[in-house]
Amino acid sequence: MISYEFLTTQKIEEALNYLDKFSKVHILAGGTDLLVNLYKESPRLPDFDYLLDISSIPELKIINLSNNFIEIGPLITHSRLINEPLIKNNFPVLMEAAFTIGSTQIRNRGTIGGNIVNASPAADLLPPLITLKAEVELTSRKGKRVLPLEEFLTGPYKTKLQDNELLTKIKIPLLGDNYYSDFQKIGRRKALSIARLSLALVTKINKEGIFQDTRVAPGSATPYPQSLPETEKAVNGQSIFHIDLEEISKITGKEMVSITGERWSTPYKKPTIAVLIKRALKKIIEEAKTNE
Amino acid sequence: MNNITITFMVNGKEVTLMVGPKERLIDTLREQLKLTGTKEGCSVGECGACTVILDGKAVSSCLILTGQIGGSEVLTVEGLEVDGNLDALQQAFIDHHAIQCGFCTPGMLMSAKALLMHNPHPSREEIKTALEGNLCRCTGYEQIIEAIESIANK
Repeated sequence: MISYEFLTTQKIEEALNYLDKFSKVHILAGGTDLLVNLYKESPRLPDFDYLLDISSIPELKIINLSNNFIEIGPLITHSRLINEPLIKNNFPVLMEAAFTIGSTQIRNRGTIGGNIVNASPAADLLPPLITLKAEVELTSRKGKRVLPLEEFLTGPYKTKLQDNELLTKIKIPLLGDNYYSDFQKIGRRKALSIARLSLALVTKINKEGIFQDTRVAPGSATPYPQSLPETEKAVNGQSIFHIDLEEISKITGKEMVSITGERWSTPYKKPTIAVLIKRALKKIIEEAKTNE
Repeated sequence: MNNITITFMVNGKEVTLMVGPKERLIDTLREQLKLTGTKEGCSVGECGACTVILDGKAVSSCLILTGQIGGSEVLTVEGLEVDGNLDALQQAFIDHHAIQCGFCTPGMLMSAKALLMHNPHPSREEIKTALEGNLCRCTGYEQIIEAIESIANK
């Protein structure tokens, strides 16, 4: 039976003190994953003696613009991401992904920080955050460190977060002009589904119609969300008027399998990820052509 | 395991209770406060039967520990009726036959109420999005949407 002491606080400082003072502390924020695991007594739950509720720390619920970065508090819910003009105007790909999560009830509680720290292979926000080159700020009583999100993730449900650290900020650099993005997701049904496969794409298209700075990250495709450098290289330098989508999609399929190896799901996922990259590129190309 | 003393508002009344560290909001509502209108279906946030309104937002009460909600305001299906008069939404559910077995109804009402509190004239699409986390096994969605639309169009 799972048994623990419940701790709660409204201050970051106090939360850090708890993390410092006690060992085997599990953090609770929106609870949309943790309470399911608690109810099911899931083997995925690590052994813990204390449950530290951080859901009412106001400092972790702020979104603002600072020095060309949008800074997002880890307690920002998926619903806030959808309705926040700073996100809508700067990172529509993040908004689109947030909208595909769970249901209204889940989006009203689940948080961006939880999605990151939980580090599920199917986490809907990780592919867009990776393509946006997000960074995470980790704070402990000893100080702060900032890591690129892609470096922070180390495996399925694994991150570099230390026991005494709290995720205190997500920082996303603003994109310049002429950037385009798209998010694709396939689930068993539209609402309340875990991604069978997803893909985020962010790219610049210059005045001559050439792809630059392309970033591609799939979800539920690799052991944990990560970018696909071969695909990115293949798209960069291509013209929106001549790009061979069939060729690109083959590279993406191959690249995914080079990371995962052949699995039982490969006969489905390899052609399907090819479709997702094609759909995303097609959408962006059409958008770029209309903007010309 | 420590117990926690917690104070919050339920249907306009302040309550102070001792709750266990594993006690979920649905447990507190049903077991301690005897507000059994809120139903427990799947217990994992997928069916919406346990939906209540927490600080103005529809949430699954099976996915919240009561220890988390000190100072918050909870509205349950019992709080919709005022002075013996049904909420217009409840009356609309009756008028449109938007109920069969009734198990999903409290959750449907609370999801719809949360929507209408923020958006008094939602589109059909917005109604569907608000209800996407509520399952009805009697497949009465059409009447439910019509009931909500009848309020939205007023």
